[in-house]
Amino acid sequence: MESSYAIRSEALSKTYRQRNGVPIHAVQDLTLSVPPGQVFGFLGPNGAGKTTTIKMTCGLVKPTSGRVWVGEYDVWRRRSAAMHEIGAVLEGTRNVYWTLSAWNNLIYFGNLKGMHGKKLALRAEALLHELDLWDRRNDLLRTFSRGMQQKVAIGCALIADPPVVLLDEPTLGLDVQAARTVKEMVRKLAQEQGKTVVLTTHQLDMAQELCDRVAIISKGRLIADQPVEDLLDLFSEDYYQIRVQGSMPPDLIARFPEMTTREDNGDTILSGPVADQGTLFSLLGRVRDLHLTLISAARTEPDLEEIFVRLLDAGEAGEMARPGSQGSTHRGEE
Amino acid sequence: MKTAWTVVLGEVRKSLLVSWTYRVNMLATLLTLAFIFLAIVFLMGGGKLKPEMVTSALVGYLTWSYAAQTISDVSYGLRGEMQAGTLEQMAMSPAPIGLILTGRVLATLIIGTVQALILGIALVLLTGAGLPLRWAGLPVLIATLVGVLGFGFVIAGAVLVLKQVESMFNLLINILAFLNGTLLPVDAMPTWLAAIARTLPSTQGIIVLRKILLDGRSLTSTWQDRSLVWLLVNSAIYFAVGWIVFATCERVAKRQGSLGQY
Repeated sequence: MESSYAIRSEALSKTYRQRNGVPIHAVQDLTLSVPPGQVFGFLGPNGAGKTTTIKMTCGLVKPTSGRVWVGEYDVWRRRSAAMHEIGAVLEGTRNVYWTLSAWNNLIYFGNLKGMHGKKLALRAEALLHELDLWDRRNDLLRTFSRGMQQKVAIGCALIADPPVVLLDEPTLGLDVQAARTVKEMVRKLAQEQGKTVVLTTHQLDMAQELCDRVAIISKGRLIADQPVEDLLDLFSEDYYQIRVQGSMPPDLIARFPEMTTREDNGDTILSGPVADQGTLFSLLGRVRDLHLTLISAARTEPDLEEIFVRLLDAGEAGEMARPGSQGSTHRGEE
Repeated sequence: MKTAWTVVLGEVRKSLLVSWTYRVNMLATLLTLAFIFLAIVFLMGGGKLKPEMVTSALVGYLTWSYAAQTISDVSYGLRGEMQAGTLEQMAMSPAPIGLILTGRVLATLIIGTVQALILGIALVLLTGAGLPLRWAGLPVLIATLVGVLGFGFVIAGAVLVLKQVESMFNLLINILAFLNGTLLPVDAMPTWLAAIARTLPSTQGIIVLRKILLDGRSLTSTWQDRSLVWLLVNSAIYFAVGWIVFATCERVAKRQGSLGQY
């Protein structure tokens, strides 16, 4: 039976208890569906509950309540079948054995998925060629660069050719070149091999570039779940960037509470939605009154990072983000 | 079933490969074990090596080295997997972690057998003591190791939940050396201590092994005097309890979200 979703969660929650008994609600009532064949970005600040969600999906952390399926299999009721459907590279860890060669790592993780013999050897050989590691297949991983080790970890996640691949911060700690290689792999997995890739990352430019759809989670709650294009459209109207010379001290930044600020080449960029011309003139008036040197003011398209910040701000303020009239974020029910 | 077998064999293969990268450490461990044994039997013999005492102690010492190696490998090995992040990858196998761990302990037993053979031969040559190997000893050794495997599961479960408990296990290994009859026969212990000692893993195995290897008795004879029966019961209980404890601890670790944390 084909499932119409690669991953699905229903009212998934996880509460940890600290030693003093105080509960921490890591994930709350998360209902989410990931269609097959998509690159799905799962975004959120540190401690938002991304890794806990990923680990509940991998059968490593037991949910306090709710259910999660991989394909048609409930991860906690049909664990063995679900694990055949999934491969993962988890965050911040080595995932692979540094004291083994690339070849032996792939063979071992293939064995763990129940593969053996010629089929496994052929799959390992194909992956090592694809990862451009064939010539170094017999070298121990401790002699590899961080990027090469990460490629082996991804290879191990793919050894059983699972339809669903979870990559938790796959480019963390990689240099630009290695990160680019990983990005290319993610793209190929989805576009050429039709796999579903769930990607958590803090690199929002990467998420924007690769993902078909993103979900944003904050304090364990889902605050957005939409195709990337729809999310970008949410703030596309009346969005302005005002560049002023030099960096701004916090007390001046506080005078623009409706704008997000960031530094760029020594200048400060104030970004945010501007409802009408009157608001724009009011903003520029404040720039003048504070004796800031205006460099430019331009209407622009917000990137995913801007949207991410605004959605989080809205979440912090206790509102489910409903910015503008063009669309709305929702809680993942399809 | 086929998947289970593939997983166990895969784990055995990997554990042997990883161990091979630490072969120098293993050689150092062997030398240390040999030195400690020689020192102990020298002291026990009042400054002399008495062959009959050496033979009896050697049977116990080699059996104890299996248990010690299993305890050490399971506790330190699992800790290493947690630190490396590979434990969570292992736990994503369709097979239960307990089965994977069985593969690991099997690898430990293979390595332990090679070490015991090297150590045994070296000590026999060095001390001039005889070690009458008999096939009847093999099923007794296997039954003993099943109990040790169960004990290994208990330890693995404790590592999953309690994390930093290696010092406790070092203590446990040393207690085993004194209480399982390795050096001092259980019959020579006070009644209450002997009763405790007989419940430990490997104690009854050492008793039966000594009967078969040193006294030349048959398996039937040890069955009739109930010592073999108690060994089988003891090992079966340890294995069953070990498996249940490990499965429970795995569930607790997953509920706490601490499976891969150290």
